Amino acid sequence: MNAANSQLRTLLPRESLLWIFAAQLAVLLPQFAHLPLWLVGAWCLAVYWRLEVFRGRREMPGRLVKSIAVLLAIAGLALTYRRWFALEPMVALLAVSFTLKNIELVSRRDALLSLMLAYFLAATLFVFEQTIPYALYGILCTVIITAALAAQQGRASARPQRALSMSAKLLAQAVPVMVLLFVVMPRLGPLWAVPQNGASATTGISDSMSPGEFSQLSKSAKPALRIAFDGAVPPPEQRYWRGLVYTHFDGRRWSEPGVSDGFSHWSRGRSRLQRGAESEEQPLPAVGPRYRYRVIQEATHSPWLFAMARPNSKTRGVRETPDDTLVYKMPVANRLAYEVRSWPRESISGQDELTSWERRRNLQLPPAGNPHARQWAEKQIARGLQPEQISGELLDLFHQGFTYTLRPPVLGADSVDEFLFGTRQGFCEHFASSYVFTMRAAGVPARVVAGYQGGEWVEQEEYLLVRQYDAHAWAEIWLTERGWVRVDPTAAVSPERIRDGLQSAAADEFMEDSLLPLHKIGFVSRLRLQWDMINYRWYQTVVSFDSERQQGVLQRLLGEISPLRLAVFMAAPIILALVVLLIWLNISSRGPRLPAASRQYLRFCRRMARAGLARNPGETPGEFAHRVARELPRLGPMAAHITAAYEKAAYAGDPAAEKQLRRLVRSFWPMRIIR
Amino acid sequence: MQKIISAIVADIGKVLLGKEHQVKLALACLLARGHLLIEDLPGMGKTTLAHALAQVLGLSYNRVQFTSDMLPADILGVSIFERDSGQFRFHEGPVFSQLLLADEINRSSPKTQSALLEAMEERQVSIDGETRQLPEPFFVIATQNPLQQSGTFVLPESQLDRFLMRISLGYPTREAERALFQGVDPRVQLAQLKPRINIEGLKKLQSLVRQVKASDSLLDYLERLVQHSRQSPECAVGLSPRGALALLHAARAWALIHGRGHLLPEDLQAVLPSVAGHRLQSDGVDGSQLVERMVHQVDIIAA
Repeated sequence: MNAANSQLRTLLPRESLLWIFAAQLAVLLPQFAHLPLWLVGAWCLAVYWRLEVFRGRREMPGRLVKSIAVLLAIAGLALTYRRWFALEPMVALLAVSFTLKNIELVSRRDALLSLMLAYFLAATLFVFEQTIPYALYGILCTVIITAALAAQQGRASARPQRALSMSAKLLAQAVPVMVLLFVVMPRLGPLWAVPQNGASATTGISDSMSPGEFSQLSKSAKPALRIAFDGAVPPPEQRYWRGLVYTHFDGRRWSEPGVSDGFSHWSRGRSRLQRGAESEEQPLPAVGPRYRYRVIQEATHSPWLFAMARPNSKTRGVRETPDDTLVYKMPVANRLAYEVRSWPRESISGQDELTSWERRRNLQLPPAGNPHARQWAEKQIARGLQPEQISGELLDLFHQGFTYTLRPPVLGADSVDEFLFGTRQGFCEHFASSYVFTMRAAGVPARVVAGYQGGEWVEQEEYLLVRQYDAHAWAEIWLTERGWVRVDPTAAVSPERIRDGLQSAAADEFMEDSLLPLHKIGFVSRLRLQWDMINYRWYQTVVSFDSERQQGVLQRLLGEISPLRLAVFMAAPIILALVVLLIWLNISSRGPRLPAASRQYLRFCRRMARAGLARNPGETPGEFAHRVARELPRLGPMAAHITAAYEKAAYAGDPAAEKQLRRLVRSFWPMRIIR
Repeated sequence: MQKIISAIVADIGKVLLGKEHQVKLALACLLARGHLLIEDLPGMGKTTLAHALAQVLGLSYNRVQFTSDMLPADILGVSIFERDSGQFRFHEGPVFSQLLLADEINRSSPKTQSALLEAMEERQVSIDGETRQLPEPFFVIATQNPLQQSGTFVLPESQLDRFLMRISLGYPTREAERALFQGVDPRVQLAQLKPRINIEGLKKLQSLVRQVKASDSLLDYLERLVQHSRQSPECAVGLSPRGALALLHAARAWALIHGRGHLLPEDLQAVLPSVAGHRLQSDGVDGSQLVERMVHQVDIIAA
C-alpha cells in the first residue's frame, strides 16, 4: 500500500499539480459569489490535503475518508439549498465533484479529467452572467485551463510563459472555428429547464409604491432599459414606459394585489378572461401611427415589462394584460429582449366600457383617513364640475406653490392630506399618489402607473438608454368618452422633469449621495455612455444571437438553408484556409530565388534525372559530368559542355557563358539521345 | 606561376611518394598563410614533408622537438648577459625562422604550447617588454601523435582553431611503397632539392590567392555548409565565422594550385575535411566523419 502510494505520488509532478490548482482557482473564483461558503473551505482543504500528499506528509485518503467526504458534501448541498432541481444546486454539485476530485488526483488521467471538468465549470459562469467582463474572464479561464493542459506534457512545457503562450496560440488558432460554429451550429433548446433561483433581490420598480421608494431609485444610474426604434420615434413627452399599474391603496402604500405572489398564477387572469371576448371584438388596428421598437431589459427578477401604451408584442413568452402592460412568463432573471408595437391611445377609437368590477377596483379607497383631501374633492363635485375640470383644478393647485424635490419631508399617517395642505414638497410618487387619491374621492376612476419616463440618446440616436433614475410614477384617469387618459401631475409642477429628465429638474439634489459626483464631469458621462454602447452592441450581436437570428444570418448568407449549402459553407473556409496555408508553406520554404545559371543547370539535372541519372545533393557539377560520361557515354560530351558553361557562368561570373548555357540546356533532350 | 606550383608539387612528390593530395593541401595551407597540423603515427613522413616544403620554397627551417619539460624560453629565445659587452643580448629561439616544425606539440606543457600558439597568431613575440617581429613569411607545421596519449597535453579546441588545416598522411599505396624501396633514399633526395621560388615569389603567390574569385553561387554554398554544421543535430559545435573564413581562404589557395582564377564547389569540398575536421565537434563521432556526411547532405546548387 505504502510503496504503491509513493509510486503513485510520483506520477503527477509538482508543476502539473500547481497548474491544475491554478486552473481550478481561476474557474471557481467568480463562482464563489454564488456558491455557499463551506464549499470554498472544502476546496481549500482538498487542495491542502493533495499538496500534503505531494510533500509526502500524508497518505492519499482511503475509501472511508472519501465516502465520508462525499456524504458530507451531499448533506451540505441538501442543507444549503433544500431543493435539487434548480440551477444553483446543480452548479454547486458540479463544483463539489470538482473539489472532491482533488483528493483522488493521482494519475495523468485524473488530471485531464479535472481540467475537462474545469472547462465545463467555466461555461456555467455564463448561466449567471453574460456581460463583457464575464466573457473576458471566461476567455482568461480558457487560456489558463488550456495552459494547464499543455503543462501536463512535462517539465519544459510547464514553464508559465511557455505554457501560456502555447495555450494562447492554440486558442488563437481555434478562433475561426469558434466563429464558424457560433454562426452555423444549431441552437438547441435546453433538454430540461431548470428554474433559476427566484430569491435574488429584485431591482428596479417593485410591486408596490410607498413614499420614498422612487427617491431610492433616483440614486442609481444603472441602466434599466435600452430601446431601439424601428421607424418613427415618439416625442420626448410621449416617452412613458409603463410597467405596472397600482389600483389598491391602503392609506400609505399603493400596490397591485396578486402581482407579487409568483409568476405562475397571475390573479388578474380572471379579469383577462372577462375581457377576452371584448378584446377579440376590438383588435388593434392594423394600420395607423404606431411605434415599433425593441426593448432590451436588464434583469429585474420580476415579470413585468415596460412599453408605451397600448403595447402588443409578438415575442414568445410576452403577453399583454388588461391594464395595457406587458408581462413575461417568468421573472426576468437575465437580460431580455422583446419586440413591441405600440398604438397611442388617441389613435384607437371607440373605447370599451369600464366593467363594474373594474370600476370598483379603480375607485377603491381606504375607509378612513385624509379627510381634507376628501373634503376638497366633495367641494369640487358640489360645484358641479366634470371629471376633466376637477383634474384641471387639482393640477392648478399643484401648480401653485408645490415644489419638486428629491428629498421630501417625512409624511405621517394622513400622507395625502399632509402633502396637499402641509409640506407641499414631493417627488413624483407623492404627486401621483395624492392625485389619484383625490380623483377617486371625487368619483373618477383613477390609477397610479409606475414605470420609466424619458431616456437618453446614445450614439446618434441609435438607441434610447433608460436608467434607474428615470423611474417615474404618474396617473391615469377614466373619462367616459376617451377611456384611460394619462395625467402626469409632476408635469404641472416641474415640466422640465418630463422634458429634460431628472438631472436637470433637480440638478442640486441629483445623485447627491454618490461618493464621487462623476455625473457632473462631462467626459466621464460620455465614457459611461460609450461603455453602455459597447454593452448594447455586445448584447445585440452576441448574447441575443438565438436560433431565430441565426436563421436570419444564414438565410442572408446562403439564400436558402439546406444541409448541402451548410456543408459547403462550413467546408469552404476550411479548405480555403488550408490552401492558403499550403501555398504559404510552399513559398516560405522555397528560399531566395536562385540565380539564372543555377536554374538552367537544375533544369539540366531534372532532365538527367528523367533519363535515369540523378545528381546527388553533394555532388559537384564536375563530378556529375564525369559520372554521366561514365554511365551514359552518349550524353557525356554534352553534359561536359553544359557543366563547363555552368561553371563559367555561376562561378567565374561570365555572362556569355550564361547565354551559352541557356542555349545548350534548351536543346538538351537526353531521352531522345538515349533512344 | 602555374609551372612553378606544379614544379613544387612534383619536387616534393619525389621525396614523399604517392602523397600528392596531402602535399597540395599542405602547400595550399601555406599559400593561404595558415599553419598546418599533421596528425599521424611516427615514421609516416611528417618531418620529411615539412623539410621538403622548406627546401623547395627556399625558407629557413627550424625544428623543435617538444618535450614535457620544455619552457617557453626554449622556443621563443632568452636574453643573456654578455660579459664582453656588459649588456643583455637576446638570443633568438627556434621560433625565429620562416618554417618551424613543432614536432609532437602535444608533449609539452600547456604553458609552452600557448607561447608558440600565441606567436603563430600574432606573428610576433614579446619578451622582456620588447616586441619582436617574426620573419616573414612564418609558417608552423606542428605534428602530433594520435596514439599513446598518456603523458600528453591535448590541445584544447581554442588552440586547434589556430591551425588552418589538420591533415594526416596515412600509409602509402603499394606502388608508392615499392617505389620507395626501389628508389633513392629520400634523405638523399631531400638534400638535393633546390628552391623553386624565392620569398618575393611566395608573397606574390599569396596575394594571388586573395584574388581568386568567389561567386555568389559559391558563397551561397559555403553559407549552406556553415549553416548545416551549426544546425545539424549531429554537430555539437558548428563552424565559427573564423572557421568559415579559413575554409574560404584554403579553398582559394586550392583553386590557385589547380590553376583556376575562380572557386568551384570542388575546391570547398577538397579542403573541407582538413579545414573543418578539427573544428567540428560531436559526441563520439570524429569530425572528419561529420564532414563527409555534411558534404553528401548539403546541396551544392539549391537549398
